[in-house]
Amino acid sequence: MNLLWAVGALLLSCWQASASTGPKIITDPPEVSNQTSAVLSCNLTESNLPIKGSHWVYNGKIIEDSKSTDASPSTVLRLEKITHSSGGKYECVFETEPEVKGTIEVKTLPHVGAYKHSEHGNEKDKGVMVCVSHGYPLPTDWTWFKEEDGTQKPFINGTTTKFEIKSTPNKTTLTINELSMEEDIGDYTCSGTNELGTSSDKIHLRVRSRLAALWPFLGIVAEVIILVTIIFIYEKRRKPDEINDGMKSNSNANHKDKNVRQRNSN
Amino acid sequence: MTKNKPKAEGQRDEAEGQDGGWGWVLVGALFVSTSLVFGLMRSLGIFFVEFVQYFEESAQAISWISSTGLAAQQFFSPLGAALCNAYDARVVVMTGGCLAGLGLILASQATCLVHLYLTMGVISGLGWGLVFTPMVATVMANFTRRRALALGLGFSSIGLSSFAFNPLFQLLVEVFAWRGALLILGGLSLNIVPCGALIRPKRRSKSPEKINSESKPRASILHRVSSHLELSLLFERPYITYTLAVTLLNVGYFVPYFHLVAHSRQAGFSEYQAAFVMSAAGATDILGRVASGWFSDLGHFRLLHLLSIWTTLAGVFIMLLPVSSLSGSYPALMVISLLYGFCSGALTSLVFAVVPMIVGVARVMGALGLLQLIESGAGLLGAPLSGFLKDVTGNYIASFMVAGSFLILGTLTMATLPHYFSCKDPPPPQRPSPEDKDKSLQSEVEPSVTERSVI
Repeated sequence: MNLLWAVGALLLSCWQASASTGPKIITDPPEVSNQTSAVLSCNLTESNLPIKGSHWVYNGKIIEDSKSTDASPSTVLRLEKITHSSGGKYECVFETEPEVKGTIEVKTLPHVGAYKHSEHGNEKDKGVMVCVSHGYPLPTDWTWFKEEDGTQKPFINGTTTKFEIKSTPNKTTLTINELSMEEDIGDYTCSGTNELGTSSDKIHLRVRSRLAALWPFLGIVAEVIILVTIIFIYEKRRKPDEINDGMKSNSNANHKDKNVRQRNSN
Repeated sequence: MTKNKPKAEGQRDEAEGQDGGWGWVLVGALFVSTSLVFGLMRSLGIFFVEFVQYFEESAQAISWISSTGLAAQQFFSPLGAALCNAYDARVVVMTGGCLAGLGLILASQATCLVHLYLTMGVISGLGWGLVFTPMVATVMANFTRRRALALGLGFSSIGLSSFAFNPLFQLLVEVFAWRGALLILGGLSLNIVPCGALIRPKRRSKSPEKINSESKPRASILHRVSSHLELSLLFERPYITYTLAVTLLNVGYFVPYFHLVAHSRQAGFSEYQAAFVMSAAGATDILGRVASGWFSDLGHFRLLHLLSIWTTLAGVFIMLLPVSSLSGSYPALMVISLLYGFCSGALTSLVFAVVPMIVGVARVMGALGLLQLIESGAGLLGAPLSGFLKDVTGNYIASFMVAGSFLILGTLTMATLPHYFSCKDPPPPQRPSPEDKDKSLQSEVEPSVTERSVI
């Protein structure tokens, strides 16, 4: 009986020992969702490996300020203000042999912004509107709406040839063909959705008549023609004088004139 | 009374090389036409964003439009020069203005990228080539004592207009969309035509031909074409040396314009800071052009020596640009950029003014045309080379260093010109002419011209 207890205790302690040779990192919190600030902490447990130091890595790049040569098994990273640009994967790395890492994902609402808030296009031409998104995780769904009579009318890709939506996780493009001044002027909204929620931005589309630029153009052409006419008339007035000049100098100083001519011939 | 006065002035003006009066009107014409050629070219970047979005092409494909335009302008320069020698500079410039405007007007109707290459690139480029060289040569022929100042004032338009055109084009694109904006730009380019009309037509174009036909009764077409293009210049060592120097200069000259903003951003400065650095360099560029033109005409130094100084300084400052930005200090980057802008503007007004010293005033038109053509290769080489260096090394330091060294190499090449180290300009070579009378008279008149410009 006593022998059985002893064997059992020995086996138990062996099992415990083998279970605890794998170092474990306890991350707190395991995931950050939609918070304005957070304190990320990692605790290295069940490891008797010597710790030379620790640091944090954000999206593959080491955060310089977080490097520490403390041999402490716990490390903390403070995120004072979480915006869409600070979302991503944070890894705490303990410098042991081999390195031990733990990961905390910081998730935020997507930040959706339009390339240009005011777009324009020519009548019968095509109009292109683009929205991009930053943040983590990137939107999985994009939708476009048009504001009509106070409600948002969604666009569904593939129903008509007039609209075309091309979307990738970080960019979406709405192309409208054959712009018409009556139908297509207005506000358009792009909205991107990820697992936390939705964000959107507005673009105002203006459609210019094709002939709008024609009037300034014709004005400039008229100005050019007037200038050239004035210059030619002015010259015709001076010409009789200059012909007399040329004939005089021809007869008087022939060789001098030739040299002067050669200098002026360019 | 008023009738008699212009007569007398006309005679006096001709004898003195017309340093004034109508010459300044031509400087004004050069100002306007240069701004409509190069100022416009430099501000086309506004349209690229629109083109990338509309045609859904890569930025590199779009940037070929402006490369084609610049290359066409430089390639067709000898053609413009030859046509001016054969016919009348006035007609050539007016035609060039019409072509430049036509190219942009057609571009406004483009439906694919190739259309843009052909219209904005080739047609407008051809137009610009027929405008720029003849206008510069005409202004240079109308000034002797104040040549560099006239050129400096004329070229200051490039900086001023790219400063003014950037916001203007942005406004045009926003109000009229890029098609309408291009149409209006075409109209604006037509303003080159009145500038060309201001050039006085050749009055006795018949007499030199008479002389030629007397002395060369069996002149072949090939012979005439080569004399219009001044191809004989390609066999003269001073001209070849100078052209090589300017070509080397061009390889490095444009690099900061392309890469300074990107480099500043990479060094850690914000977008606005980087853009402001470029604007500041542009402002001192304008200042440098006018100041250097004015100073050179005072005649204390030879134009060639001054050009070498500005080129070397510009090369040194280009090399210092990455050093100053990597030190992290914004004032340092700003100061070096201002100095670089001043030196690069200063050398611009002198590059063309030196040409008559080397080839003689009579051959300036053809010389400029060939110079533009040969230096075009350098411009096409410089930007891709520096981009390649950046891709290979990961940052812009190597690009700037290489660019600066090309400028210094250009200066060293200039130092191999004959009579470089003498304090006075040597008499420029005379155009070989069949008549002995002309030869002896030329050697009487030309040295006195150069003496005056040195003093």
